[in-house]
Amino acid sequence: MRTGHLKTSPGQLVALSDSPAVWAWVGALAVGLILLPYLVGNYMLTLVVSAMAAVIGAVALNMLTGQTGLISLGQSGFLAVGAYANAILLSDYGLPVWLTLPAAGLTATGISLIVGVPSLRLKGLYLAITTLAFSFIISHIILYSEGLTHGPNGIFVKGARLFGYDVQRGWPLYYLALALTAGTILAALNLTRTRIGRAWIAIRDHDIAARAMGIDLVRYKLLAFAVSSFFVGIAGALMSLQLRFVNVDVFGLILSIEALAMIILGGMGSVAGAVLGAIFLSFLPEVLRIGFSLVTDPNSTFYTNYVYEIRGIAYGLVIVVFLRFKPDGLVGMWRDAKKYWSNWPLAY
Amino acid sequence: MSRILELEGVSKRFGGLTAVNEVSLSVEEGQIYSLIGPNGAGKTTLFNLISAVLAPTSGRIVFDGRDITRMPTHALARLGIARTFQNLAVFKHETVVNNLLVGLHTHLGADPISAAFFWGRARREELKARERVEEIIDFLEIEDLRDHVVGTLSYGQQKRVELGRALAIGPRLLLLDEMVSGMNQEEREDIARFILDLKEELGMTVFMVEHDMGIVMDISDHVCVVNHGRKIADGTPAEVAADPAVIEAYLGTKQAA
Repeated sequence: MRTGHLKTSPGQLVALSDSPAVWAWVGALAVGLILLPYLVGNYMLTLVVSAMAAVIGAVALNMLTGQTGLISLGQSGFLAVGAYANAILLSDYGLPVWLTLPAAGLTATGISLIVGVPSLRLKGLYLAITTLAFSFIISHIILYSEGLTHGPNGIFVKGARLFGYDVQRGWPLYYLALALTAGTILAALNLTRTRIGRAWIAIRDHDIAARAMGIDLVRYKLLAFAVSSFFVGIAGALMSLQLRFVNVDVFGLILSIEALAMIILGGMGSVAGAVLGAIFLSFLPEVLRIGFSLVTDPNSTFYTNYVYEIRGIAYGLVIVVFLRFKPDGLVGMWRDAKKYWSNWPLAY
Repeated sequence: MSRILELEGVSKRFGGLTAVNEVSLSVEEGQIYSLIGPNGAGKTTLFNLISAVLAPTSGRIVFDGRDITRMPTHALARLGIARTFQNLAVFKHETVVNNLLVGLHTHLGADPISAAFFWGRARREELKARERVEEIIDFLEIEDLRDHVVGTLSYGQQKRVELGRALAIGPRLLLLDEMVSGMNQEEREDIARFILDLKEELGMTVFMVEHDMGIVMDISDHVCVVNHGRKIADGTPAEVAADPAVIEAYLGTKQAA
């Protein structure tokens, strides 16, 4: 137990954390992330940017699925909407990137309200199927509305400049991704400690009691869809900037599954969990690649030949193992470890 | 004293079953009003009709001169009607403080953008809400449980948190559904004391469905008895206890009163 946490003002009670140690670590992490482009090569930076897009997506999905309890398999659809909105506005309409990024988020929000309305009466598996259908509809719309989306040809994303820098490669892209990620995490943490986040959690834990507390289920479920999709749209836009080419095939069902796996792995409902889960799963393929290169002979093409199969098996395995042994996810493990060490050497 | 809640010929049918049949009653402001009856008498259905979880098949429900018969459940909190549930309905993965804060929902109004930045209105009202929560914690004497996750507390403590959450709404009418069932003697007495405090200090009207005759007879100003969905008696605890129809239908022997 941490002792001596006397609080002398209500401000301390609503603070994200009142522990100086936590803020010191956050500061150290921030410095580390700002210096990262000087410390690692381009390949690593690319991986980190992909991981950041995954973090934004997972934190956003966590609002909808982890906090509000609405299971969504529509993640890939919202990512596609964000990526295409960003690509079309940038490349075809030549708008500046500081405008296309929020526009991508808002487009996803707009579409989420259309998906959200029929979803209001559905729960659990039925909602999952509805959102799954939505993502298929989105990919068909993208394929067949060639006038807008160039159909199967895809779009080259170009001309994204911010303060004169090309934010589609190297360190400018990295810093843009860092800012977006930090902003998303902060927004998610802040929403969690206001009436909006509490209303979402109340709906998840006991919807009848939530209604008795004056929470309008329709409004707050739609709000969860809207806010979550806004950030998923931003994640999609970030993906399109990094990939420099968007195509329907990029946004397959596997992205939705991965996003769900991330929040399960991290610990449902927790913002920190979504972040940890996304980082873990984003770097898993890289860890596997290094692992295979250590145990097989250097000329073996085993990993490169079966990369998708190996990845799929690893994701599945991780989900099963966590659901069976650590249902509270990485955050739960962290909490247990903290409890153990703060009480050590006494058991309780 | 004015009438704060009135039911006029309220019925509820589920298919062929008439759970509540033409019940009329009126609750005066500042009263502790108990609804009793044997198992399956329709008490909980009636309770759910008043708290708008169910809509009546016929009849009218009036709160403070306003017809609330067809109102959505969530609109009642804003009017000042709060309820607790027969079986626990706390948000069990959250701390006591967060449970109580949910009760303050209707008193807060920050928009999502201000909430995402936690600036301006959102920050101001969250600070105020947090102070209000401390007052409720103080009233219910649960200071030491503040940061506990509600799911880890004992049944009686969880019930107390649920009562606190209802109080956070700042209700004029508090609906309690079998508040003390499953509690030990000490916890029951605490709850009885809280209910009396609410009436005397805050002038709150309390409408409760209760099985515990001790509490009903001790603290109620008015008792209403239902059986088979119909009202069979209505009056002060002493009047009701002496009513032959009640004795026959419910209490069995006179000594039990």
